[in-house]
Amino acid sequence: MKVSKRLYSYYLIWPALLIYSVFFVLPALTGLFYSFTDWRLDREAIKFIGWDNFERIFTDRTLLLAMKNTAIFAIVTVLGKNLLGIALAVGLNMKLKSKNLLRAIFYSPSILSVLVISIVFTPMLRSDGTINRIFEAVGLPSLSQAWLTNPALVIWTVAFVSIWQHTGFQMAIYLAGLQSISKEYYEAATIDGAGSWRSFRSITIPLLLPAININLMLTLIGGLKVFSEVFVLTGGGPGNASQVVGTIILRSFGEGSWGLGTAVNTLLFAAVTVIAIPLLIFMRRKEVSE
Amino acid sequence: MSKRMKKIATGLLAGIMTLTLAACGSDNSGKGNAAATDSGSGNSGGSSTGKKVTIELAISKSSQDSAFVAQDVLDEFEQKTNIKVNLQLLPAEQTATVLQTKLAVDEVPDLIQYNLASATTDLNLERNFEILDNEPWVSRLLNKDVLSAYDHVYSFHYSQDTGMQGVVYNKDIFKDLGLEIPKNYEEFLAVCEKIKASGITPVFMPFKDNWAANIWPAAAFADWAAKNEPSLFEDINAGRKKWSDVPEFATFLDQQYEVYKKGYTNTDILSDSYDMAVGKFLNKETAMMFMGDWLIVNVAEKDPNVHLGLFAIPSSEDANLGASPLGGQLFIPKKAKHMDEAKKFLEFLATKEVAQKMVDSQGSVSNFSDVTTPKLPDYKQEIVDQYITPKKTTLTTDAYMIVDRSELYRLLQDEFAGGLDAKGVLKAWDEKFSQLMKDKGVEGF
Repeated sequence: MKVSKRLYSYYLIWPALLIYSVFFVLPALTGLFYSFTDWRLDREAIKFIGWDNFERIFTDRTLLLAMKNTAIFAIVTVLGKNLLGIALAVGLNMKLKSKNLLRAIFYSPSILSVLVISIVFTPMLRSDGTINRIFEAVGLPSLSQAWLTNPALVIWTVAFVSIWQHTGFQMAIYLAGLQSISKEYYEAATIDGAGSWRSFRSITIPLLLPAININLMLTLIGGLKVFSEVFVLTGGGPGNASQVVGTIILRSFGEGSWGLGTAVNTLLFAAVTVIAIPLLIFMRRKEVSE
Repeated sequence: MSKRMKKIATGLLAGIMTLTLAACGSDNSGKGNAAATDSGSGNSGGSSTGKKVTIELAISKSSQDSAFVAQDVLDEFEQKTNIKVNLQLLPAEQTATVLQTKLAVDEVPDLIQYNLASATTDLNLERNFEILDNEPWVSRLLNKDVLSAYDHVYSFHYSQDTGMQGVVYNKDIFKDLGLEIPKNYEEFLAVCEKIKASGITPVFMPFKDNWAANIWPAAAFADWAAKNEPSLFEDINAGRKKWSDVPEFATFLDQQYEVYKKGYTNTDILSDSYDMAVGKFLNKETAMMFMGDWLIVNVAEKDPNVHLGLFAIPSSEDANLGASPLGGQLFIPKKAKHMDEAKKFLEFLATKEVAQKMVDSQGSVSNFSDVTTPKLPDYKQEIVDQYITPKKTTLTTDAYMIVDRSELYRLLQDEFAGGLDAKGVLKAWDEKFSQLMKDKGVEGF
């Protein structure tokens, strides 16, 4: 009786497992296989070439640059979106008359399409664009830059645009986290003579950890997988200056090197897993329950 | 283990491909086979007495207003030959992928409309398409080159004026300033200087679109090779020579860069894109641009009173005009199920009457000796008189490159971003080019 009951619960998994296997596990495995081949549609046959694709990834200068750019983008956006997100959330969690309006304003960029963002920002970031004009108007012409066309600067600019767009989303998650913290903790802390910084450090941050974890994961994975921002703002240019792993995959497929493209994709998948899972475990341990 | 996995994966892929292609393929192939036997046995006459045959023509959705596929043309063909042409409209952004897949799994249409330059890189022209050298209409061609690759006629078109590339210029500005068309690079710089002095930007460079940076070199390289070393591209494609082996190529790249460095262009060339070009010419903000004649058509559509012309890239003395093998030509896949009928369709389009009708309706330059070119727009007539009739055109390098060119475009863009000099561009392209050729399995790399 007990056994059959237990089995019954396994039967229920089957449909979901089947769908998951067919549409996720299977393509992932075939992808893994193809990353070890010289798969091209203009070839008669697919040949198994071992680690060649991966060797090439680590010796191709553009691919290395793309990995560096991806790392810069991920780190900058993780820090930017989360620090700003917490700051905004704490600010808008206070008793302000206009807090609903402000929440809506800060959240609104994250519902816009990245194409719209590109249409808005591209002219603003030109050499003679709004941002440089503002610098000139306030007497800081030395800060004027070719934001999207200076190879040394461009990935930072794209990261900035991404922070601008998504911080509101991170803010919303932090706000939800903040509202789940009971006011009693703060009252008790005040009675004990704690200042606002002390309360923030000892109450808000520890109790906000679940939200911080979620946000760190989301922004980190999003940062490592970045594609659309770079694609619409710079297309990976000028030259190859702002290529990231995501755009390199597109480039490889466009060149007809499908095996190589799959290899880069596999590598990205592995990198995300290797970085995200230990971080998740580490952060989980830090969480406290109320 | 790996062998087994390979087998499994191959099997799975085959399964998936069959499933996805079943929808569009199975239905037709049944009909196709029946018809193929039919045409093989007794359809040589192909008259209206025979059984009706349907041939498939695959065409990008964005080209569906092409003159080849105008409904009245197709109807007339069907009436005369009892062969029906069925259009397979492919989504514009996936045309290449869909055709690659079809060719790879032998689910080929009988005719494909594509452009010659891209067909060589995307669709493996030599392996997949029929050589048309012996077709009856070939002997009447005025300009075989625009339909040829690897010394064979691979495609069909009634006109020869698609995609002329050079310097698009504003005739009125030239007239006002008393300027002549420059015949060499020094004269070109002098022209730029005078235009700049008048307060107009001499050259508009929209190099945010990196392909636009390739117009100058694509024509300049080809012009130099045609005049000095006709076998150059053959050697490059066989791995016997490198792009950086030709010092003149670096000179040509330097020239384009110098035009920018001397301040003869818009300041923010890497932020400006091609779609701004029409506006720049309409507002007379700029006098010239390295581009194809399609820009002139785009400007004329907005304002017919802006008079633009086209002259050859002045990279060297008395250069030829670049002719890009662009535009939609028709191709017949080697594995077409209705080869004879597809050829018959081309014959029909090539007949004097039909070709004349298409040339007239499009205002284009006839490629057949017995079809008269109608009255052309001024700029086009000039191109014909000054370049096409005296045979002063040269196929641009695009025609000879059998690999994806986008990395070259990025490298050219990098020259203007300050990352590479002309020699660096060619060296980096050599590396990438040989890698791409190696990937393709071309011998010599």
